[in-house]
Amino acid sequence: MIGEGTQSTNQRRHNYLQENVEVGFFTDPTVCIGCKACEVACKEWNEVPDDGFTWLGNSYDNTGHLGASTWRHVLFLEQDRQKGSQIVSSHSLGSGDGEDPFRWVFLSDVCKHCEEAGCLEACPTGAIVRTEVGSVLVQNDVCNGCGYCVVSCPFGVIDRRPQPLPDAGGAFKCTFCYDRQKSGLPPACAKVCPTESIVFGRLDDLRARATQRVQQLREHGYADAQLYDPIDTSVRGTHAFFLILGEPEAYGLPPKPQVPTIHLKSAWTAAFATAIGALIATLCAFAFL
Amino acid sequence: MPKGLKDGPFPTHYEPLESPVSNELYSHDTNPAEQWFARQENRFAPPGDPRFPYVLTTYRLTEHHTAGGMSRFLSHLAKLQPEMFAEISPELATQHKINNADYICVVTLRGAIEARALVSRRIRPLALNGKTVHQVALPYHYGTAGLVRGGAANDLLTISGEPNVTIMEAKALTCNIVPGRLPRGPAFAEFLNKYAPQTGPTILHPEERSFRKGQSGGGHAHEGKTWM
Repeated sequence: MIGEGTQSTNQRRHNYLQENVEVGFFTDPTVCIGCKACEVACKEWNEVPDDGFTWLGNSYDNTGHLGASTWRHVLFLEQDRQKGSQIVSSHSLGSGDGEDPFRWVFLSDVCKHCEEAGCLEACPTGAIVRTEVGSVLVQNDVCNGCGYCVVSCPFGVIDRRPQPLPDAGGAFKCTFCYDRQKSGLPPACAKVCPTESIVFGRLDDLRARATQRVQQLREHGYADAQLYDPIDTSVRGTHAFFLILGEPEAYGLPPKPQVPTIHLKSAWTAAFATAIGALIATLCAFAFL
Repeated sequence: MPKGLKDGPFPTHYEPLESPVSNELYSHDTNPAEQWFARQENRFAPPGDPRFPYVLTTYRLTEHHTAGGMSRFLSHLAKLQPEMFAEISPELATQHKINNADYICVVTLRGAIEARALVSRRIRPLALNGKTVHQVALPYHYGTAGLVRGGAANDLLTISGEPNVTIMEAKALTCNIVPGRLPRGPAFAEFLNKYAPQTGPTILHPEERSFRKGQSGGGHAHEGKTWM
């Protein structure tokens, strides 16, 4: 838990890949300080190119959203709500007396590496694969840039890289630092996170840790702390789950993510019924000639 | 007791060299041991100067290092904070009809710079002696070179010296804000003269006389062009 420091799995060498252990990220915004070290470490290690310098005027967030050249994104949320047992200021200009709560929440967003991954199921070339540790990996040398994965991702994570950036046209997203994991190293973002807001480790360990952390926070006055881990949806859980304060919508996370392939059956049934209908109509037209 | 402190041994309160209010604790407004560098380009606004009604503070961002000489040239850092901005409260923004992301000019007696307005409730107005005083907060990481560029907060600061480490007072000054973009070229001098008249009184610091009566000053503090 907090105070564990370098004793956590973030810094240890591991053998998860050889042991076929399912791994994941647990991200906890209550200890995130918004330093964006994860964004920088991710770009450094994976040699992700810069994709422009745009000031967004949205708190300290100048990244905007995840994309082909942004695999970690720190979200800055300013809300008129109380944070935990925070002392609420009563000094408010204009609105007169009374409490005036305000909180600033940071959350490092990343590819969720879904159990039922929309991108993987949509990929026609086999460029997107499931790795030994349960993560979803795009093999850029196989990807033909068709973009089916982009519209199939329930979280809007994966994207095609535009010109004139290197490797433009292909689809890119978080690789879970597969290359580092092959050498027994934790992903770059988790490794650099100074407050261990991002924790990397075995998925079962992380789920237990996350449940415990939610419990701990609730006891300390964080009434709206909850876990965002959509196990009960068609995504069937993720390999990157988040502790959030308040509703998932505020963080740009869909409350009920859906893998598009669940609509396959109904879509094909409808198409088949239409085809039969069209055939009957044609036959009828000829019958009354 | 710490030895060698030039303004010790006990902590007390003095107002910054530039402040919207006078000192409520002592008749002397500012730290008597503080060095100030008096010259025409380094004038200080007197306490409560109506031309500069807001408190100006500067701070650093995690994405940049010092004045940005290194981090402004590194794409991975520069893209995370790519432009100079000024943080103001929603109350101050409403008063000046400024929207988030609008260009504004921040003016002090020493200079003027341009910045994008970042309107946030994180910046709260101060209540000083029953008066509401607004704050303007600037990061100081921008300059004229690099992948990302912007107004240099240093253009607004006074040159002064904290008694022990001789660092200038960069965290508390007074300023004014003007909505719109900063004029360039000859128009800039006109703009600056309008909001911060460049012909000032001969007394360059509010406490100059009472403080250094009969003294010629010490160190390099008084090598300014106009100091005699």
